[in-house]
Amino acid sequence: MRALRNLKEALRGLALHKSKTLLMTLGVVIGIASLTVIVAIGEGAKAKVLARISDMGFGPEAFSVAAGAGRLFFARTKTPTTLTLADVDDIRAMPTVQAAVPHQRQSMRMVYKRNNTFTRVYGVTPEWQSARLWKLSDGSFFTDEDMKRKAKVAVLGATPAGKLFGDEDPVGKMVRIGKVYFRVAGVLEKKGVTESGFDPDDRVIVPLSTSISRLFRQTWLFSIRIHTLDPSKVQETMEGVRQLLRKNHNLSVFAEDDFRFITPEGIMEWVTAEERALNRMLVLISAVSLLVGGIVIMNIMLVSIRERIREIGIRRCFGARRSDITQQFLFESIFVSILGGTAGCALGATISFILKKFHVLAAKPTWESFVVAFVFSAAVGLVFGIQPARKAASLSPEETIR
Amino acid sequence: MSLIRMENIVKTYLSAGAETPVLKGIDLRIEEGEYASVIGPSGAGKSTLMTIMGCLGSPTSGRYILDGEEVETLNDAQLSRARNEKIGFVFQAFHLLPGVKAIDNVMMPLLYCHKVPADARERARESLETVGLGHRLHHSPGQLSGGEQQRVTIARALVNNPKIILADEPTGNLDSKNGAEVMRILDQLNREGRTIVIITHDPKVAQHGRRTISLMDGRILEDRRHESVTQFEGSPSRAGSA
Repeated sequence: MRALRNLKEALRGLALHKSKTLLMTLGVVIGIASLTVIVAIGEGAKAKVLARISDMGFGPEAFSVAAGAGRLFFARTKTPTTLTLADVDDIRAMPTVQAAVPHQRQSMRMVYKRNNTFTRVYGVTPEWQSARLWKLSDGSFFTDEDMKRKAKVAVLGATPAGKLFGDEDPVGKMVRIGKVYFRVAGVLEKKGVTESGFDPDDRVIVPLSTSISRLFRQTWLFSIRIHTLDPSKVQETMEGVRQLLRKNHNLSVFAEDDFRFITPEGIMEWVTAEERALNRMLVLISAVSLLVGGIVIMNIMLVSIRERIREIGIRRCFGARRSDITQQFLFESIFVSILGGTAGCALGATISFILKKFHVLAAKPTWESFVVAFVFSAAVGLVFGIQPARKAASLSPEETIR
Repeated sequence: MSLIRMENIVKTYLSAGAETPVLKGIDLRIEEGEYASVIGPSGAGKSTLMTIMGCLGSPTSGRYILDGEEVETLNDAQLSRARNEKIGFVFQAFHLLPGVKAIDNVMMPLLYCHKVPADARERARESLETVGLGHRLHHSPGQLSGGEQQRVTIARALVNNPKIILADEPTGNLDSKNGAEVMRILDQLNREGRTIVIITHDPKVAQHGRRTISLMDGRILEDRRHESVTQFEGSPSRAGSA
C-alpha cells in the first residue's frame, strides 16, 4: 500500500519534470537499443551459419567421423587410410545409431566431349541422398541395385553439370571421370556458393562400391556421417564410436585418435569464432553506454534532489518517513530506466527489423535479449537510483524546509 | 496533561567548529485549546522553537513531551506519524508542491497516514471548502493568489484533523487584506476548539492569540495571557461559511 502510494507520487514527480525525465530516459534508450541490436545481429549471423550447417546435412542429431587426426575439416596426415567399411558396419550395429553413411572422396578430372573440369568425386551409399536431404533437379539418384552391381552411374552437382553440358540435358549422357566412363543418372539441385567461397555444388556422386573397385581403387573411407536416434544421444554415441574405432584400429592407450569428429557445434565455433570476438566487444561497448546511461540518471537525480529539496521537506513535514522518500526517488529512477529499457527494446527491434528488411545485416531479434535488456535496465535504475534516493531521505526535515 | 510540554530545551548549532546557542533553556506548557503566539525579533529563536515543537528537529538537550509522548524516544517512523497525526503546519512561504493541484496538495498528509482513509479526496475537498476554496480545487499553486495559497496550506494543515496547528508567520507573505482573512480563519479554528500556536514577529498578529510568549536571545522573556483583541463575535468569517 505504502509502496503503491510512493509509486504514484514518483510518477507524479516524473510527469512534473518532463524534460529531466526525458533526458534520463534517453541514456538508457541508447544503451538498451544498441545492446539489443548487437545481440540481434549476433543471433542473425549464428542463424545463418546454422542454416548453412543444416544445409550440409547436419541436423542436431548428426555428426561425422573423418579419417586422420586433426580438427574438423583439417587432417594432419595427407591420406589417412584407417577408416574402413568394417568400421561402418560396427557403427551401424550400435543401438543409438540410426544410420551411418560412409563416403570416399578424391579430386578428379571429368570430361564430356570437348569440355573438361576438375571436381570432387564422392563415393557414397544410396542412403546419402536421404541423409543429406539433397533433392535432384533432374534425373534420379542411384539405387541399391546400382550399388550392388558396382554400376558406373554418376549424379552431377550443378557446377560440373553447367561446365560440361551448358544448356544440354546431362541425364543419360556418358561422361569420363579419370579413365572410367559413367552414365549421368541425375543432377543435384543447386545450393550456391557460401560466404566463405566454398562451392557445395562442385561435386559428382558415384556409388561407393564403384568408387572402391573401379575408380579410386582404394578401400579406405574419407569419412562416415552418423545419424543418431535423437539429438540427446549424440554425446553418448560419439564416445561409443571413439571407443569402437580405437579398438578396431588397435590404438594403444597412449596413442591419439587417428580419426576426428566433425560436429555442427564444432563447425559453428570455427565459423563464428571471429564474429563472436567482435560481438563481445560490441556488447561491451553497449554495456558501457548503458553504464553511462545509469550515471546520467544518477547525476540528474542528484541535481533534481537539490532542486526538489523543498518538496522533500514538505513531504517530511506532513508525515512522509525516510523510507517513503527513498522509495519515491528509487521508483522514479527505476521507472525512468524501465521506460528507457522499453523504448530501447522497441527501438532496437525496429532497427533490427530495418537491417533485415533492407538486407543490410541478418539481424534476428530474440525475446531473450529483450527480457535481459529489460531486467538490465531495471537493475541500472535500481543501482544508480539508490545513492540519490538515500541522499534525499537523509536530509533532515528541519533543514529542507528552511 | 499539557499538549505541549517543554523542559529546559537547549538548542545549539554547530557551524565551522563554532557553537551558536539558539535556545538557552526553554520551559513551556501549552494546553489543549489554547491560542498562543510566540513573538520575538529575528534571531530570537522562534523558528528553531517551531522546528522542535513540530518534531522537525531535535533539541540539543532538554525534554519535549508532545501529547504524552517523549519525543526524544521516537524513531523516524514514529516521529513521522506524530507529525502526520498531531501537527498541521502553516508556513510563511506556503510550501505547496509546485504544479500539483490544490486538492492533491491538501490530500498529501492523508496519503502518508498510517491507514489511508478511503474518502481522502472527499476530505480534502471538504477541507478546502472550509477555507472558502471549494471553487479552486483543481488549480495549481501558480494559478492561485498569495492569500488563496495560504488558505490552501491551512486546508492542508487541517485535513488530517491534527491537535495542533503550528503557523510560522502565516501572514508574512500576504497583503493586509489577505492577512486579515487568514487570521480570521485561524481565529475561527481556535473557537472551534483547535490548539493554535503562531510564530510571528508582528505584534498585531500575536494579539489574535490569548497568550503571548515573548522570546529574546533564546530565552522566554515574558509569558502573558490576555484577551484576544480581534476575536469578533458574530463577524462575517469565511471560515466554515463556504
